[in-house]
Amino acid sequence: MHLKELQLNNYRNYKSEEVSFQDQVNVFIGENAQGKTNIMEAIYVLGFAKSHRTPRDKELIRWDCEYGKIEGRIQKRNGPLSLQIVISQKGKKAKYNHIEQRRLTDYIGALNIVMFAPEDLNLVKGSPQVRRRFIDMEIGQISPVYLHHLSQYQKILQQRNHLLRDLGRRRKSEQEMMLDILTEQLVEYAVKIVSKRHQFLKMLQEWASPIHSGITKGKESLEIQYKSSVQVSDSADMTKMIEEYNDKFTKIKEKEMERGTTMAGPHRDDLMLYVNEKDVQIYGSQGQQRTTALSLKLAEIDLIKSEVGEYPLLLLDDVLSELDDSRQSHLLNTIQGKVQTFVTTTSVDGIEHETLKSASLFNVEHGTATLIK
Amino acid sequence: MHYPEPISKLIDSFMKLPGIGPKTAVRLAFFVLEMKEDDVFEFGKALVNAKRDLTYCSNCHHITDRDPCMICEDTSRDQTTICVVHDSKDVIAMEKMREYRGLYHVLHGAISPVEGIGPEDIKVAELIKRLQDDTVQELIMATDPNIEGEATAMYISRLVKPTGIKITRIAHGLPVGGDLEYADEVTLSRALEGRREI
Repeated sequence: MHLKELQLNNYRNYKSEEVSFQDQVNVFIGENAQGKTNIMEAIYVLGFAKSHRTPRDKELIRWDCEYGKIEGRIQKRNGPLSLQIVISQKGKKAKYNHIEQRRLTDYIGALNIVMFAPEDLNLVKGSPQVRRRFIDMEIGQISPVYLHHLSQYQKILQQRNHLLRDLGRRRKSEQEMMLDILTEQLVEYAVKIVSKRHQFLKMLQEWASPIHSGITKGKESLEIQYKSSVQVSDSADMTKMIEEYNDKFTKIKEKEMERGTTMAGPHRDDLMLYVNEKDVQIYGSQGQQRTTALSLKLAEIDLIKSEVGEYPLLLLDDVLSELDDSRQSHLLNTIQGKVQTFVTTTSVDGIEHETLKSASLFNVEHGTATLIK
Repeated sequence: MHYPEPISKLIDSFMKLPGIGPKTAVRLAFFVLEMKEDDVFEFGKALVNAKRDLTYCSNCHHITDRDPCMICEDTSRDQTTICVVHDSKDVIAMEKMREYRGLYHVLHGAISPVEGIGPEDIKVAELIKRLQDDTVQELIMATDPNIEGEATAMYISRLVKPTGIKITRIAHGLPVGGDLEYADEVTLSRALEGRREI
């Protein structure tokens, strides 16, 4: 899929801007604080209906304005598509082909995006939360049902935590029964989420490991594992998994009641990354961690292609200059001719690659983007 | 803006109703000024009477103007089946169907620890009391198909299980007469989960 046109109104530092893109590589060049990343963010918001930088939508509205609008014209394999996000002081509206979508889960997934930004290095180094967010966002792009399960799970989790926190306010038998019921509901969704995550990571591993060994010229092998708070012997066997979760919750019941919070389930799971069989989070060098993050991101491109049938957009925010020559050329070779890519950088000097020679260059200054080549 | 007190009071009252914001409230208030005095009087009386004359049925807790309510009084109805719902609006929806001939029980809420609502805050104990003699043979759980409704149904079913009364849950899935292609993914996947052999 390709983003043909992007229109911004009262968004961040853009008053009113309309930009057309080519199907290959589009590069935004400019000094810091001119609005390069804002364009990347706008494309991201168009796909995910939320920003990767802030949970507060209102920040996206231009200073002193009532509302902000992002609109995109997309060319998909089976025809054109128009997407629009309007953010006002009251909330946001997402429109798919001019029709407002009541639920964001119906909207997300229309425009597939893979983004690689400096903070993505945190994917390897950061907290488990960062990695869970990565898994959830990526599966959400290809499975709307997963997003629904996830939101149901969050609701039950909230109910269950409240119950555990307010213990002693009700009769004991009543409490026990309510806890049992909420556990049963929690497990029902936990199993669906965990099984989907297993399945996703298995696919991701299949795509990522040849990429990783390609970048490292065969010197390193990458392995991805899902670390669950519950021993999962077979992620495909749902009944078995339910039993395993039930056992776990029976075992930790006392502890949960003491601490007043839910202590097992997908909200506490993690993603483990091994390079040459060593945990790269702990033992990996800076460079290995960077390569691992890059392999995962590049693998996503192929994974989305195989699941959705079309290549996603690739957003490279300020990372090209961060990569050394061999990683840079591996990245550019991968996208060459097939993935529409958006790049921000302060300068293109020193990057000698075929892919960039045919790219469109935009100069970004004070909230305007002008085509210079 | 400054309105004379009687009308600003009226605007205020309209704004207490659900779905009515300041603009609509002003429009409605000015409309009332244009109405015939008799109509206004009737309107006021209807409001007061609705509140004064309606109570909850001491048996099923449905809204009624006499106790017990018409449904509970009706001996031609099937006394062995009780349909358990969240609120009175659900009873009215079920009654519109004209197919169900059993009794009802209105819970007035759903279990939700987040909102501080436990089983003792809704009419669960009252339901259990109704099951004491052996008349009732089936409970149909028609609580909403969301997390709280589901938890409420599970709670009641666990309480009642030991008595041997049959407990059923209404089905969820595709709306009848709708097109498959217009259903959202979540409803579709629920419908798929609950498929049956034909």
